[in-house]
Amino acid sequence: MKLLTGFKLAWFGLWANRLRVLFAMMGVVIGMFAVIVLISISIGVKDTLLKQMGGLGAEQILVIPGRVLDTASGQKDFLSGLTSVPSTLTYDDAKAVEKVENVRSVTPHLETVTTVRMGEGKDVKRLQSVLVGSTDQYSRVQHAELVEGRFFTKEEQKEKARVIVLGSNIHDGLLGKESVPQENSAPVKATPEPWWKRIFSSLTAQMVVAEKKEASLVGKEVVINDMKYKVIGVLAPNATLGASTDNNVIMPIETALQETDMKNLNKMIVEAKSTSVIDQVDSDVFAAIKENHKEIDFSVVKQEQMLKALDKVTTILQVMLVGITVTALLISGTGIMNVMVMSVRERTREIGIRKALGATTFEVMVQFFFETLLLCLLGGVIGIGLGYVFIELWNNNIFIFSLVLPLWGVKLALYSSLAVGTLFGIYPALKAARMNPSKALRFE
Amino acid sequence: MIELREAKKFYRSGGEKVPVLRGVNLQIGQGEYVAIMGKSGSGKSTLLNLLGTLDVLDGGEYELAGQAVHKMGKGKRAALRNKEIGFVFQNFQLIPNLSVYQNVLLPLTYGRKKWVGKKAKVLNMLEEVGLSNKKSQKPSRLSGGEKQRVAIARALINEPSLILADEPTGSLDEGTTESVLQLIDRVHKNGATVVMITHDIEVAKRAERTLLLQNGMLREMANEAAYGI
Repeated sequence: MKLLTGFKLAWFGLWANRLRVLFAMMGVVIGMFAVIVLISISIGVKDTLLKQMGGLGAEQILVIPGRVLDTASGQKDFLSGLTSVPSTLTYDDAKAVEKVENVRSVTPHLETVTTVRMGEGKDVKRLQSVLVGSTDQYSRVQHAELVEGRFFTKEEQKEKARVIVLGSNIHDGLLGKESVPQENSAPVKATPEPWWKRIFSSLTAQMVVAEKKEASLVGKEVVINDMKYKVIGVLAPNATLGASTDNNVIMPIETALQETDMKNLNKMIVEAKSTSVIDQVDSDVFAAIKENHKEIDFSVVKQEQMLKALDKVTTILQVMLVGITVTALLISGTGIMNVMVMSVRERTREIGIRKALGATTFEVMVQFFFETLLLCLLGGVIGIGLGYVFIELWNNNIFIFSLVLPLWGVKLALYSSLAVGTLFGIYPALKAARMNPSKALRFE
Repeated sequence: MIELREAKKFYRSGGEKVPVLRGVNLQIGQGEYVAIMGKSGSGKSTLLNLLGTLDVLDGGEYELAGQAVHKMGKGKRAALRNKEIGFVFQNFQLIPNLSVYQNVLLPLTYGRKKWVGKKAKVLNMLEEVGLSNKKSQKPSRLSGGEKQRVAIARALINEPSLILADEPTGSLDEGTTESVLQLIDRVHKNGATVVMITHDIEVAKRAERTLLLQNGMLREMANEAAYGI
């Protein structure tokens, strides 16, 4: 008998026992669904952390308030060694750093919470937002892309121009498209599409040819702290775990220092002219800031140190992923083996009949082995499909962080289901193959 | 066709060997129609399983179609079974989840012989047993007589030289019994060797020769009344 015939018989066997197959498959479906979702969660979290912590370029240095304590091995301990102290970093520190040799740019970052208002009377809309004061370098250094308009210029910064760039949530909220934190006003009525429509839209996004032209606030005025500001740009949506720019309102730092009470920087990103001078710039920046401070209440961190800290987090995630994957596979594997052993027992007489008609030990083994293999493969494909639907649902409805499903994740799930089928299909197949035909025919 | 020499078979019961066949000698020629009778538990089915290569001897020798079965491994016995033997069981032994057509096709699937037009062959066979209109049905939708006709079609599909029938009419009513026996008669007339186990003297009378299995030994039945059957 050819293997193909064995495959065909296995397929007939599965088809003939459809209901049992469905129940048997549930274990693998759930197992592979768990594998897919967990991979996408861990990769999504890792990507988000990389974006936040490792978003620095190799030639960039981060200056933050407080001290990052060193571990015994001399590395920065970002996980438990980050001390929390009020910021004493000032714009003057940033100016001092600008004078350091081999520094290409300095991007200071002031941050507070404010209310943005638009409209009058009944149509007034008030939204809570994160007010950020920075320089014209902000969008480049923060990788914040614009969907429309422009970013403010160096000249506007120097002139303390009242211009702002809105994060996507604030822009949409003021237009009444999305529900965002409101203040002293009736909630803006959001009309989100049903989930199935959003999934369908996301799946068929590439097929959409004509795109509807949306309303925009670029060129219009909003009010912050009773002062009018002109909207000159809107940032692209950038939902990430805790570091989104979606709720930000960015204005020139000079304007922010003049019009608000903000005095201390939340961080500053320093760019060296090249990676070859990064160590020298790192110590010079430290020295320049220290000149203005009585105590060392700030930290200067390089990308390399950030990535080392991140390595620890990703290793934990990977170990967790491997552990959960193996557990899911073992559970689904033993489940499927149990069902197949029961199936072999229930089909004892059938096995006897097949043997009486001339099926060899090998042929019976191949049939039952392929049945398990096909069952696992089918369950795997369904589990992967369900996982994909879950990821699409998540990414279209939950904006804490995005789930990312890499191709290797799909391959891993598929190969895992095959491995489960192979490993846990051997015993039931051998049990079926070894049956004595005369006894099997008498089985009640 | 069949030659059993000093065939022995034991069963284990509570650690003890219980003899079922105590040295059976049997010769059946090609194209013969033989009925084997005996009381319940006399070992008739055991003998049929041995003749059908479903079981192995504990002693003695067995030759089928010139081949020494007692020296064969499982694989060769399976191949021999597929090629040379067709089974008809009392309880039909059809696979419930397969259709009538699929049940009849099964021996061809396992066969080493490459048949041309398997589908046509199965349909012809179903036509012959009068079930071509039921080819897509599951066995559970058939009557007892129809099930047995499917089983006979399946037994004949590989054109075997030996038909082993274990109480083929045991589960059938009188009317259906006759039609099934006529079918077996036809198979025999077409040249196949038939060995049939039965309790029913009337059924056994259709055979050319009747054997009685008693106390683990096989004897020719000259006069059934003498054996008190």
